Amino acid sequence: MDLFLTNSSFALHKTLIERLELCGLLEVCFADWATISWNTGQNQVIIEELAILTPQYIELLCNLIDIPNNPPYITGYWTKDGQEIENSEETVNRNNEQYIIKRTFSIQARDLGNYSCMFRENEAQVTFVLVVPVIKDKRDKPVVSYTGDSVVLECKLKHTPNTWNWYKANNTEKGLINVTANPLNYKIFINGNETKLTVLNLTEEDSGKYICSAEFDIKPSESYVELKVLSYTEPLKPFIAIVVEVIVLVTLILLWEKCNKPDGANVFSSTRDESNGVQNNTARQRKLEH
Amino acid sequence: MMEKTQEEQQSSPQMAAPDGGWGWVVVGSLFMSSALVFGLIRSLGVFFVEFVQYFGESAQAVSWIASIGLAMQQLMSPIGAAASNVYGTRPVVMMGGFLSGLGFILASQATSLVHLYLTMGLISGLGWALVFTPTVASVMQYFTVRRSLAMGLGFTGVGLASFAFSPLFQYLVEVYAWRGALLVLGGLSFNMIACGALIRPLGKPKVVLKTENLTKLNKCSSLLSRIFESFELSLLSHRGFLTYAVAITFFNAGYFIPYIHLVAHSRHIGFTEYQAAFVISVTGVVDIMGRVASGWFSDLGKIRMPHMLVVWTGLLGLSLMIIPVAVVYSGLIVISVVYGFCAGAMTPLAFAVVPEIVGIGRVLGALGLLQLIESVGGLLGAPLSGWLKDCTGTYTLSFIAAGSFLVLGMLVTMTLPYFWSCTAPPPPSPSKRMSQDGSIEDGLLKQTLSSNSVPESLCPLDDTPYSDKELKVCWKSDVTCPVQERDEIPQEMMHHTNSGEIL
Repeated sequence: MDLFLTNSSFALHKTLIERLELCGLLEVCFADWATISWNTGQNQVIIEELAILTPQYIELLCNLIDIPNNPPYITGYWTKDGQEIENSEETVNRNNEQYIIKRTFSIQARDLGNYSCMFRENEAQVTFVLVVPVIKDKRDKPVVSYTGDSVVLECKLKHTPNTWNWYKANNTEKGLINVTANPLNYKIFINGNETKLTVLNLTEEDSGKYICSAEFDIKPSESYVELKVLSYTEPLKPFIAIVVEVIVLVTLILLWEKCNKPDGANVFSSTRDESNGVQNNTARQRKLEH
Repeated sequence: MMEKTQEEQQSSPQMAAPDGGWGWVVVGSLFMSSALVFGLIRSLGVFFVEFVQYFGESAQAVSWIASIGLAMQQLMSPIGAAASNVYGTRPVVMMGGFLSGLGFILASQATSLVHLYLTMGLISGLGWALVFTPTVASVMQYFTVRRSLAMGLGFTGVGLASFAFSPLFQYLVEVYAWRGALLVLGGLSFNMIACGALIRPLGKPKVVLKTENLTKLNKCSSLLSRIFESFELSLLSHRGFLTYAVAITFFNAGYFIPYIHLVAHSRHIGFTEYQAAFVISVTGVVDIMGRVASGWFSDLGKIRMPHMLVVWTGLLGLSLMIIPVAVVYSGLIVISVVYGFCAGAMTPLAFAVVPEIVGIGRVLGALGLLQLIESVGGLLGAPLSGWLKDCTGTYTLSFIAAGSFLVLGMLVTMTLPYFWSCTAPPPPSPSKRMSQDGSIEDGLLKQTLSSNSVPESLCPLDDTPYSDKELKVCWKSDVTCPVQERDEIPQEMMHHTNSGEIL
C-alpha cells in the first residue's frame, strides 16, 4: 500500500497551507489535496486538519490511485459532517490511472466542519477538518496557587489572531476581564500568538474557569484553564504530620538506645556472636593484654 | 601503663567493626540518606519547569539551583568531615538533616530566583554535605569484610528514589503547587535527622581521642592543630591520596555527562520521547543491580579492589565512547545496559578503595577532601560537554570526551602505590608509636611495619585506631598478616557516587 504522505506531497501540502493564509474573501484558494491509494482489500481513511482564519472559498481535491481493474470512470461525492451534500455527486473519468474529484466550498463561520470526499465503488475517503486554529497545549490539570500569591495563565497558538480576550466563567456565564477596571488584580500581556493573564492578590473567590479567546475574522477560538486557590493550611497538614513522625522516630531511637546502653557487656557479647572473627580477635587481645 | 592498657582495651571493642548487627541498620540509614539527598536532587526537574513558568526566568538560570546545591554539597564536605571528627557523626548528621529541611521550607516562601539559590542551593546544600560524608564514613567504620556490599546496598537508595520521587513530586506539585510541595519536601528531608539518630557512635570522635591522649604530653591542642587534624590536611602530602584525588576528578568529569546527554542524544538521532525515557529507565535499573553485584563480588576478595575499579572504569569509558556508534534502537539499549551496569559497579568501589589508600582512621577527612577536589571535575565536565555539543552539533564528541576522561582516570589509578602488587598493601600507619603499643604488638606486626612505606601522618599520635586495626587484622586468621590484609583494605569512595548521583 502506498503511504499517503510522501515527502513530496507533504511539501506540496505545506505550500498550499501557506497560500491559504494569504487568501482573501473572494479568491478561490487551492487549499488542500490528498492522494489515496486503494489496493484490493485495503481501506484507507485519511484525515487532514486545516486551520481557517478568515471566511473564504476553499477548493478541496481528492486524488484516487491504484484502483484494481482500472475502471474507466467512478462516482464520487462529498459529505459535510457525515451528511451527503446535495448535488455533489459527480462522475470521475480515469486520467492516467488517477481519478480526481474536486469541489469549491464557501466557508463562513457556520460552514466549518468535517468535509469528506467519498466514492460509491469503494471505501476510500479523505476527511478535511476545517476549524479555527486550535489551542493545543492546554493543561488538563488545574493550576494551583495560594492566597496572596499571584499566578500566570497563558494561551498560545500557531497563528496570530486579531486580538485576545480573557473571560472568567461563572457557572454558564462569561464575564470579560477588564484590566482598566481592575488594574490591581489583573494584568494582560499580549504578544502576537501568545497571551498571558496575571492574576494578583489571589483570594479564594478567584478560583474557577478562565477562558482565553483568540479573535479571528471567522470565529473566535477558545480554550480554558482552571485555577484553584488554596490557603496555606493545606500543605501544612502533611508537613506537620511528617514532622511529628520524625520527632517520634528520633525520640524512640534515642530512648531505645538509652535503655540498651547500661549493658556495655551486652553490646560487646552480642556483637561477638553476630560477626565473624573480628570480635574473637578483640577477645583474644584482651587475654593477651592480661 | 595500666591506665594506657585499659584505655586501649576500652577503645578496641569500640573501634572494632561489627560487620553486621547494628551495621545493617546504619546501611539502612545510608540508604535513606542517599535517597533523600541524591534521589531528591535527581528528581528536582519537576520543580524547575514550575520555576521557569512562575519566575519567568530561563531554564539555564533555574538549573543553577541544582548546580549550587551540588557544589555546596561537595565543597562543604570537608567541613562535614571535620565537624564529625570533632563532635562525632551523629550530631553532625542530625544537624545536616535539619538544615536540608530548613532550606526547602524557606524556599517555599521564595519570591525571586535568588531566594531559591540561597535556600535550596546554599542552605540545603550545606545540609546535604553534613549528612552524606559522615554517613558514608560511618558505614565504612561499621564494616570491614563486607564493606563493598554494604556500600553497594546503601547506594541503591539513590536509584530507587529517583524512580519513586519523580511521580511523587509530580503529584505533590499538582496538588499543592510548588510552594506547598517544597514545604512537604522539607518535612521529608527532616527524616534525615532520624537517620542520623540511628548512627550509634563506634568510639569517640578522632579529635577528641587525640586531645585526650595529648593531655599527658605537650599541649598540641592549639586551635590550628585541631583544625589541621579535623580536616586531615596531612593527607595533602600523601602520595596515594593525591593520586587518587586526581583519578577521581577525571572520573567525575566524565561520569555524569551521559546522564545529562543520553536523553537528548536519543531524541537527536531520531527516537521518540518514550523510547528515550525507556533507555534512561533501563540504565537506572541496571545501575542499581550493578552496585549490589559489584559490592558483593568485590567482597569475595578474589580480585583486589583497585584492580576491579580499573576494570569497571575501563569498561565504562569504552562503552561511553561506543554510544555514538549505536544507531539502531536495540544497539543503543545494549550499550546503555553495559554503561549502566559499569557505572553502578564502579560507584561502591570508588568509595571503598579509600580506606585501602589512607586507612580507616583517616577515611572521614579523606572523603571530605576528595569530594572537594573532585568537584572541580564536575564543574568542568558539564560545560565542556555542552560546549562540544554546541560546536559540533552532535553529542558524539561529548560522549567520546566523557569516555576518555574515564580512561584517563583509569590510567591515573594504575599509578597508585601498591597497585601492581598481587596482595593488598598494609594499612598505613605512622612509624612513631607509643611505647606501650609497641611492646604488645611488635612481634605480631613486625612484618606490617617493615613493609609500610606510606608516609606517615604529620601529627604524631594518631596511632590508636591503626594499631587496633592491624592487631585485628593479624589475629583474624592466625596466618601471616599480608594475606589477611587483603580482606581488610578495600573501601570505597563516596565521591564517585556523589558525582554520579548528581546527575
